[in-house]
Amino acid sequence: MKKEWLNFVFLAILVALLLIGCWNFVLAPASDKQMPVSIRLGGWGASPAEQTLLRQVLQDFEAKYPDIKVKHEIIADQYMDVIKTRLIGEAAPDVFYLDISEAPFLMSQNVLEPLDPYLTPEFDLADFATPLLESFRYRERLYGLPKDYSTLALFYNKQAFAAAGLTAPPRTWEELLTYAKQLTVDLNQDGRIDQYGCGVLPDLARQVYKIEAFGGQLVDSNGYAAFATEAALQGLQLLVDQYRLDRSSALPSDLGTNSVDEMFGRGKVAMIITGNWTIPYLNETFPDLEFGAAEVPSINNKPGTMLFTVAYVMNKQAEHKAEAWQLISYLTGKEGMQKWTSTGFALPTRQSVLAALGYARDPLRAPLIAGIDYATPWQGGKNLSIVATNFNNQLLSTMLGEQPLKQAMVRAQESANRQIRANE
Amino acid sequence: MAPSILVLGTFAIAPIFYALFLSFQKVQLLGGIEYQFAGWRNFARLVEDDRLGIALRNTAEYVAIVVPTQTILALILAVTLNAGIKGKNWWRIIYFLPTVTSSAVLTLIFMWIYNTDGLLNHFLAFWGLPTYNWLGDPAVALKGIMLMNIWSTAPFFMVIYLAALQDIPKSLYEAAALDGANQWEQFFCITLPLLKPVTFFVVAIGVIGTFQLFDQSYIFSGGTGGPNNATLTIVLLIYQAVFRDLQMGYAAAIAFLLAAIIISITLIQRQFLGSEKFD
Repeated sequence: MKKEWLNFVFLAILVALLLIGCWNFVLAPASDKQMPVSIRLGGWGASPAEQTLLRQVLQDFEAKYPDIKVKHEIIADQYMDVIKTRLIGEAAPDVFYLDISEAPFLMSQNVLEPLDPYLTPEFDLADFATPLLESFRYRERLYGLPKDYSTLALFYNKQAFAAAGLTAPPRTWEELLTYAKQLTVDLNQDGRIDQYGCGVLPDLARQVYKIEAFGGQLVDSNGYAAFATEAALQGLQLLVDQYRLDRSSALPSDLGTNSVDEMFGRGKVAMIITGNWTIPYLNETFPDLEFGAAEVPSINNKPGTMLFTVAYVMNKQAEHKAEAWQLISYLTGKEGMQKWTSTGFALPTRQSVLAALGYARDPLRAPLIAGIDYATPWQGGKNLSIVATNFNNQLLSTMLGEQPLKQAMVRAQESANRQIRANE
Repeated sequence: MAPSILVLGTFAIAPIFYALFLSFQKVQLLGGIEYQFAGWRNFARLVEDDRLGIALRNTAEYVAIVVPTQTILALILAVTLNAGIKGKNWWRIIYFLPTVTSSAVLTLIFMWIYNTDGLLNHFLAFWGLPTYNWLGDPAVALKGIMLMNIWSTAPFFMVIYLAALQDIPKSLYEAAALDGANQWEQFFCITLPLLKPVTFFVVAIGVIGTFQLFDQSYIFSGGTGGPNNATLTIVLLIYQAVFRDLQMGYAAAIAFLLAAIIISITLIQRQFLGSEKFD
């Protein structure tokens, strides 16, 4: 017994010595030569073409700043869960993507570096579209610089419109509902509908502007859910009634598809309300599809849409902050942003780049750009994920006809607020 | 001895005590870790949380259907294999394949099968049976996971039954046959009672495994437990509490609730199945 114990101690010491030895061996050459500083950039995965473009931009950056190396880390799934865990474990990347919806939470947690001290006049902050910058401000401080954005617009299938004798996209929600009925057709007369008017996603991220159309609100000033009001329900009822009563809209899972974009591309629905990301997807996956875009039809005579954006933020724990800022300022600077947005994967957040690329004259992108003036940013306080989960669950059950909208929304609101209170 | 105690202590015993400690704390994780004593508040929250109720109901329904089905299926498979059908080894391999396949891969394959335009619906439509939106309809989403899990875990228990069946002495059957017992009587009076300890093991492991359902429903719903909480299980709720809401203390409290449930159910089972005596 005693001998075994001694053996064990001996082994432990041996392992420790070995580790220390290797450590020095690895570190020694590093301290001799001036190694370039390595900056870790974290983000989620995207299409291969988009990934290649980003790699290209990063290579250009490294060519311009040879003493900085960028290590691009892709988080494949559950991005925010992974980022939060790494922030807690002090293993988060130096610079990373932050979605507009998660910004209020992370900004309030004191884990991000405020960017105001780094800003220079040449960087020209005023060039950014104001609603985008405001989404990343918390207590008078700027925490993120938006890399690109999109609003929602109505995309319609031109062939389906021509077949139904429609010449122009709907301008009001009433028109949209009428058109949708005309576009819901059983082409081969087999009793199953082959084409629906609209493809819809009962997801809070795409519905907040409906809540606000009649004067409702998503969350109150304290961040508690407040959408179970008559005004908010009136807007949401439009979505539910179209699906349940008119039967002129469909959910992706109804038609065996994974997204509204796919439904639209495969010609199973004639209209969808979606963002800029759909354009490259459709061009690549369904090159024969003829489609047009228009601003989201007005509800209650008010224009409305959603605003989505992603910013680069700096980790407060970043070791080389000056270099990290170099990277952010290059990626969101005029030169870097123009490279990043020139192929049309995303819309530039700088007015000057937007003008230089001429997207406002592109008939598919003009409605998306016009939307920024009246769009509802996809934000709702730091508890948005709780609010959204409860909302989505209950809205889906209403869409499936399990309960009336009012009951569902009251339940969603109460359950969300109980959860928020418990977390505080 | 010492190394094993050290390893076991570090990776098995210490985490249990740490979890116990956590369940009485409110932990601030982001921006500097801070502990704050919360008393019984995390446990009080268990009562109020309606999502926990949903998760418990889903998990209980899942266990109540999956465990008996997979146990009976495993027994039937084992007995037929033991009866000496042709190509026994091939059958064994075919049966056992799903068990050695990673559950993540299985789930992805089944998601294609369950697609509204997928294999299962085509099969059902071919026989004139109703088709379902397996992934999107809360009424059937959990059933889809049950079907998948029964199919993939039953063969594992089949192997255990098969081993036990081969241990039953032939002489017992011969004696019974001499006494005039037919095949069924032999099965119910000799095979089943002698398999009782194995059945206890199979059911106990089955209950523990099914109560801890996580990866399938996580992949199925993309981590949300949807559609409309239909695939929300207790372990998925724990995951969400930790990684989405960063509520470490509350998650530890749910984990203890789950442990308490599993331990008590196993003890109850032992009352019914555990005694090794038989008349």
